Amino acid sequence: MIHHLALGIYLIAFALWVGVLLRGSRGRAVFFASATGAVAVGVHAAALLGFHREYGELPLVGPGAALSSLAFVGGLALLVTLPLREAARVAIVLLPFIIVLMGVALGVGIEPSPLILEFRGTGFVLHVAFAFLGYQGFTLAAAAGLLYLVQHHEIKSKRLGRFFHYIPPLATLDKLGRVGGLVGFASLSLALGFGAAWVLQHPGVIALTDPKVVWAIGSWMVFLLSLAARVGRDGSGYRGAAATLVGFLLVVVGYVVLRLTSGATDGLFL
Amino acid sequence: MRVAVIGMSHHTAPVEVRERIAFGPAEAAIALTELRNEAGVEEAVLLSTCNRTEVYLFPAAGSPPIEAVGRLLGRKAERTGDSIRPFLFEYRGEAAVRHLFEVASGLDSMVTGEAEIQGQVREAYERSAAVALEPPMTGPVLNRLFQMALAVGGQVRAETAIGEGRASVASAAVELARKIFGQLKGKRVLVLGAGATGELMVEALQREGVEGIIVANRTFERATELATRLRGHAVNFDRLPDVLASADIVLASTAAPHHVLRHETFREAFPDGARRPLLIIDIAIPRDVDPALGDEPEVFLYNVDDLRRIVDDTVRVRKEAVPMARGLIDAHTRDFRAWYASVEVAPVIRTMRERAEHYRRSELNRLYRGLDHLNENDRARVEEFSRRLLNKVLHDPTVQLRRGLGGNEGEGLINAVRFLYGVGEGDAPSPPPASDAPPCRTERIQNGEESE
Repeated sequence: MIHHLALGIYLIAFALWVGVLLRGSRGRAVFFASATGAVAVGVHAAALLGFHREYGELPLVGPGAALSSLAFVGGLALLVTLPLREAARVAIVLLPFIIVLMGVALGVGIEPSPLILEFRGTGFVLHVAFAFLGYQGFTLAAAAGLLYLVQHHEIKSKRLGRFFHYIPPLATLDKLGRVGGLVGFASLSLALGFGAAWVLQHPGVIALTDPKVVWAIGSWMVFLLSLAARVGRDGSGYRGAAATLVGFLLVVVGYVVLRLTSGATDGLFL
Repeated sequence: MRVAVIGMSHHTAPVEVRERIAFGPAEAAIALTELRNEAGVEEAVLLSTCNRTEVYLFPAAGSPPIEAVGRLLGRKAERTGDSIRPFLFEYRGEAAVRHLFEVASGLDSMVTGEAEIQGQVREAYERSAAVALEPPMTGPVLNRLFQMALAVGGQVRAETAIGEGRASVASAAVELARKIFGQLKGKRVLVLGAGATGELMVEALQREGVEGIIVANRTFERATELATRLRGHAVNFDRLPDVLASADIVLASTAAPHHVLRHETFREAFPDGARRPLLIIDIAIPRDVDPALGDEPEVFLYNVDDLRRIVDDTVRVRKEAVPMARGLIDAHTRDFRAWYASVEVAPVIRTMRERAEHYRRSELNRLYRGLDHLNENDRARVEEFSRRLLNKVLHDPTVQLRRGLGGNEGEGLINAVRFLYGVGEGDAPSPPPASDAPPCRTERIQNGEESE
C-alpha cells in the first residue's frame, strides 16, 4: 500500500515538473515539484523499511522488491540533485525511470522470497551500500547525459524552445555526469570488492558463473568504458553523455530482463 | 475605489507625442506639487519612462481630478504646440490597480516581460514619496498599492516565463553562451574585426564575467585600439589558428567580403576536431565564418539571422506566459480590493456604531426622566440590557459587511451602509496609519539591456 502511495506521489512530482517545463515557470513551482519528489522518495524509503520489518529480509531478492529497490536508487539520485539548483531539473528524466520501475515492481508484486538466504556480515552490508551508491551515481550521470544530448541538439539545431529554457547549461550537465560517473564507478568498484570478499567468506553462497555475478561484472565493465569515453584523451561532453546513456541503458535492460526471466528462485541480485 | 490612473503609453501615443510629456526627476516633483496645489490631490505618483507617462492618483474624496491631470500633461506638451488629449487613457478603481500590476510585471511593456520597468516603477514611487510636501504625496493607499505592485512584479517574474530568455540580439548571444558554458567567468573571447557591433556584444559578455579578450583585425592598429578599450590584447590575423585553439567564444564582425574563418583555419587550430564546446557568433554580412564549421560536433555556429530568430522565439515564449501572469495579477488585484474595502469599511462601521450608541444614550435619558424611582442597581441593569440589545442588533450586519468585503459587491455594500446611515465619503477618516510604510529601498536594476 505504501508502495502505491509512493508511486502516486512520484507521478504527481513528475506532473509538476512537466508543468514547469510546459509553462516555463520557476520559483515556487520548481520548489513544489522538488519538494514533492523529496516526499515521494521519503515515502518510498518508508515502504522499503516496512517491507524489511514485515518480512525480515532486505528488499533485494524477489523480482518486485528488487525492482522497487532499483527505483529507489533513482530516487536517491533525485535527492542528491535537489540542493543543486538548476541540476535539480534532471528530475524530469529520473522520475519516468523511477515510475516505470515502480510500476513493473507493483505489477509483478512486491513479495518476499521463498528462499532463506544468509545475508549478514559487514561485507554484505558494505557491498549493498556501495552498490546502491554506485548505481545512484550512474543513474544521475545517465539522466544528465540524456538532458545533455537534448540540449546539445537544441542548440545545434537552433531550436531554442521550451527544452532549451528548461534544461540546465551543457557545462552543468557535463559536470554532473562526470561527478556522477566517477563517484558511481568508484562506489561500484568497492561494492564488487566487498561482494567478492563476502563470497570468499561464505563459500558456496553464490557461484562466479551465476548470471547475477556475470551481470554485475558486465555492468562494471560497461561503466568503465563509458567513463573512459568521458575522461579519455578524445573525451568530449557529447561523447561522454552518449556513452554514459548507452551504457546505462544496456545495464538496466540487462537487469530487468534477467530479473524477470530468472524469477524469484535465483535469489540475491544486487 | 478611488484609485485612478491617467496617462499615455506606447499603446496610445507615438513616440513624437510621448517624448513631449516625458518628465525628468526634477520636473516630476514640480508636477506633483502643482497637482497638490491646483487639485488638492491627496496622493499621487508620477511614472515617466520612454514608453509611458502615467499619473496614479488617490484623491481625498469624490471623483479623481482627471481634468487637472489632463491640464498638467497638456501644459507640458503644449510647449511644442500640440494637444495630447486624444492620446490619453484613463482607468479608475480596480482597472487602475490591475494596470499598475501589469506595468510592474512587464506585461504592458513594448517588449513583453522586459525587466527594467520594475526598477522604473520603484524609482517613480520613491521619487514621488520623497517630494517635499506635507503630507507626503504617497499615503496609505498608494504606499500599499505600489509596494504590492513591486511584489507582484517580482512574483510574476519569478514564477512565470514572462522574463524568460533575452529579447535583443546581444543579450540572445549572452543567453546562448550561458546555456553552453554555464558560468561565463573566465571564458575567453576571440573578436574578429574591430567594429562597433562586436564591441557592444563583447561588453555584454564582459558584464557576465568573460575574461581574456583577444582582438584580431586586418589593421593591427584598429585591433589594438579596440583591445585597449576592452581590456584585452590584439593579435595579427596570421596568429588566428593559435588564438582560436584557446578561445571559448568567437565573435566575428569584420567587413571582409569573404570568409575570414575558414574550415582549414579551424582544422589548423583543432587537428582532431574540437573536444570542448566552441560558440561562434557571426554577425557580419557577408558572413565571416565558413558555414561548414557548423557541422563540427562541438561547434555552435550562429549568424545574425539565427540570433534574430532567438529573439522572436523569446518573445513568443514570454507571450505564452501572459495568461499565467494575468492569473497572478487578478489574484493580487482581488487582494488589494479586499484590503482597500477593509480600510474603507472601518470608519463606516465606527460611524454606524457611534450613531447607534448616540440613539441608545438619548433614549435611555428620556426613559430615566419618567422613572425616578429606579435605584443605581436597576439603572445598571437597564443600561446593560440596552447595550446588549444594541450589540445583538448590530452584530450580524457588521459581520456580514466584513464578510462581503472580499467579494465583488464589497464596495456596493459599503455604499449601501453609507446611504442607510447617511454617512458621506468625506466623513470617513483616513485609512489607518499602520499601513503607511516607508518607501522601499532602491535596488539595482537587473538586465538593463531591455529598456522601457
